[in-house]
Amino acid sequence: MAQRGELILETRKLTKHFGPTVALNAVDFKIYRGQITGLIGENGSGKSTITSIAAGMQPPTSGEMFFKGQPHKPSSMIEGIECGIGMIVQEQGTVPGITVAENIFLGEEKKFGKVLISRRKMQAEAKKVLENIGLTNVDPAAPIESLNMQDRKLVEIAKTVYMKPEMLVVDETTTALSQSGREIIYDIMKRMRDDNKAVVFISHDLEELMEICDTLTVLRDGNFIATLDKEDFDEDLIKKYMVGREMTGDYYRSDFDTPISDEVVLKVDDVTTGEGMLMNFSMELHKGEILGIGGLSHCGMHELGKACFGETPVLRGTVTHVASGEKITNALNAMKHGLGYVSKDRDKEALVLTESIADNIISAGYDKLVKGPFLLPSDTKKYVSKQVKDLSIKCASVKQDVQYLSGGNKQKVVFGKWMGRGCDILILDCPTRGVDIGVKAAMYALINEMRLAGKSIIMISEEMAELIGMCDRLLILKDGQQSGEFFRSRDLNENDIIEVMI
Amino acid sequence: MSEAAVKTKKPSKVNARLIGDLAPYLGLVLVVIVFGFLTNWNLVSGTNLQAMSSNVITTAMCTIGAVFVFGAGYFDMAIGGSLCFAAVLGAMATISSGSLFIGAIAILAVSLVLACIKATLASFVNVPFFIFTIILGSIFSAIVLVIMGNETTLLLKNAAKPIPEFSFGQMSTISIICLVIFFIICVILFQFTPIGPKAKNMGGNVFAAKQSGISKTKTTFTVFIIGAIGIALAAFLLMIRTRTIGNTTGGSLGNDVMVALVLGGMPLSGGPRSKISAGLVGAVTITVLNSGLTMMGLSTGEVQIIRGIVFIIVVLVSSLSYRGKLLPR
Repeated sequence: MAQRGELILETRKLTKHFGPTVALNAVDFKIYRGQITGLIGENGSGKSTITSIAAGMQPPTSGEMFFKGQPHKPSSMIEGIECGIGMIVQEQGTVPGITVAENIFLGEEKKFGKVLISRRKMQAEAKKVLENIGLTNVDPAAPIESLNMQDRKLVEIAKTVYMKPEMLVVDETTTALSQSGREIIYDIMKRMRDDNKAVVFISHDLEELMEICDTLTVLRDGNFIATLDKEDFDEDLIKKYMVGREMTGDYYRSDFDTPISDEVVLKVDDVTTGEGMLMNFSMELHKGEILGIGGLSHCGMHELGKACFGETPVLRGTVTHVASGEKITNALNAMKHGLGYVSKDRDKEALVLTESIADNIISAGYDKLVKGPFLLPSDTKKYVSKQVKDLSIKCASVKQDVQYLSGGNKQKVVFGKWMGRGCDILILDCPTRGVDIGVKAAMYALINEMRLAGKSIIMISEEMAELIGMCDRLLILKDGQQSGEFFRSRDLNENDIIEVMI
Repeated sequence: MSEAAVKTKKPSKVNARLIGDLAPYLGLVLVVIVFGFLTNWNLVSGTNLQAMSSNVITTAMCTIGAVFVFGAGYFDMAIGGSLCFAAVLGAMATISSGSLFIGAIAILAVSLVLACIKATLASFVNVPFFIFTIILGSIFSAIVLVIMGNETTLLLKNAAKPIPEFSFGQMSTISIICLVIFFIICVILFQFTPIGPKAKNMGGNVFAAKQSGISKTKTTFTVFIIGAIGIALAAFLLMIRTRTIGNTTGGSLGNDVMVALVLGGMPLSGGPRSKISAGLVGAVTITVLNSGLTMMGLSTGEVQIIRGIVFIIVVLVSSLSYRGKLLPR
């Protein structure tokens, strides 16, 4: 066993129930100083639950925690950070409607004046905080909404680091970041380790975890499975621990010679979007094709997905459903022609979190379900049950609120919305963002099945391996325009793509 | 894909959600018991029950319709003003024509026009809707004052032709039939057609609703029209029951609707927790509360203060429970 630093956090028989669901089952877990501890497991394994309890986001149902040898029962995240535990959460943690600087110093405004707050001083200090993590291109006076998802996440990281936590939890943060953003967070974690502080790093990217972490703890279905030291890291063994069965080999497509059909189903013609992220862009999607769209952040790929679904204003150009010859101008019109859209930002754009799984799944399928003006409960039940079964959505009941599901299961619910409709053209924006390896494999299999059934898929992704592994054709965007096109090949590798991406 | 195992345990405690669902009914029982006791049980005397039933029906009509509007995420503070406007114009039409039928048509038409104005503002103007309704409520009341001029009340006995009068029994029968029919139709629309789920989706997450192909404009107009029908029914029943409409008609109704929805267990922010039963249960509770406080000899001002305190307590208690956000931001 590798030499350990001082024990900083210990959980004993930590248990958490959400209604009838057991999220954590008597977990004993230890975190040491001077280490980056990776936490891995399938969606719903309890990774975020255990760290969020430690950070004060929610109380445990039972069990004990000790932080720096003292009993630890934080009643809020503020108390958590006061104790020395900072957490960067999976979803957006910034407050809209205020500036970057005001976000960083939220609750600390008195530092800049007792009666009148000096915004100039606050912004100057915020600039230093941002520069401390290497974020130099963000204006502290800018409204937080003017930043893209990555920069907002980096502001959140800067804020947490500014609090000087003794233990930092990084929960699924890197999935929202590009490589440059990831480098920033890796650097922060390494600096904290070198300063004899503790880091808990939660990610579904096994390669990333194996590279960055000193130890890895595997959870499965709320149970502690194993802790491995760096010298014992073995990809297949970790996967086996995660899913409870052998998982070796590749989960991408194995075919390389499948011809692309000549039949065009969707045509994007000289499109420039309202926000200016996409400029004079044209492409064609063929029947039965998986068309990959890749690029760096700000390249316009996410706007392309929205434009294809009529969800972003198009200033010039057209998106045409070829079979009908009709222009796609809004979501209703897109759905009428068999299009479906899985948003990158599922919590904000794709799900009603306080609504049940069943109501979320049927939300895109009312027109398919109605008999006359009526929605019959028996039809709804059948429709929902099929999606829950086909997609293996882990839930206690279809009446369970979506907000209590893990990231992977939430994504399955979003898929269920569109699978239920039987879409012929599916636009998937980062479909495997924040989902574990098991769900990823299942989604790839599902996407491939859809391709074989003649459905056409636009797959937008920030993961090159996924694009190379799954797509028949790959378009790379740079500054809102196409900078390269690649066809499926055994020889295609990430270096070829990076050449045209940067 | 393989069937994934779901790890569950049998609930050992009483389900918190069940308690949440029963809370409005328990609240109603509590209000009846407390005020029954404080009023020497005069609260539940035959005479008072008769008086309360009329108020319940008027409030419930508006509140049940408002479930659709609030459910879709629209915080409508102009319900009282809309009812007053519709009732006044309806009474004027009835008096000048001598026809109850024309009066009813006028009430419905005015109510629908006002709903369309609200729906247009809600659909096409990117300003928080409740701001409009604060202003609209004042505008509606001001227009009523202008229309009525020096008059403070409109009496149906002054109609061009005699307007039929209904006995208490007849009036109760008409009111109950209207309420039952309206309630059943609303339950069907809310639970067994896409109207209710679409409204709840919009109230829960307007972005997700849009990406699910739910038309904001269509849904908004639909919910306001249903709400307007409730207001029109309430205004009509009020007119034929009291035979007097004034510029203060429906004055406290806007507040009553909001308090009733909260007491009925529905978040005013709308969304998936919206339910038609909240409209009915809440209307009964607020009416009992109003009646009980008045019977205790409290002044109008004191009644308003206590109602405000009850409203805040219910909001606080509810916000501590699983229901989360109860009021719109």
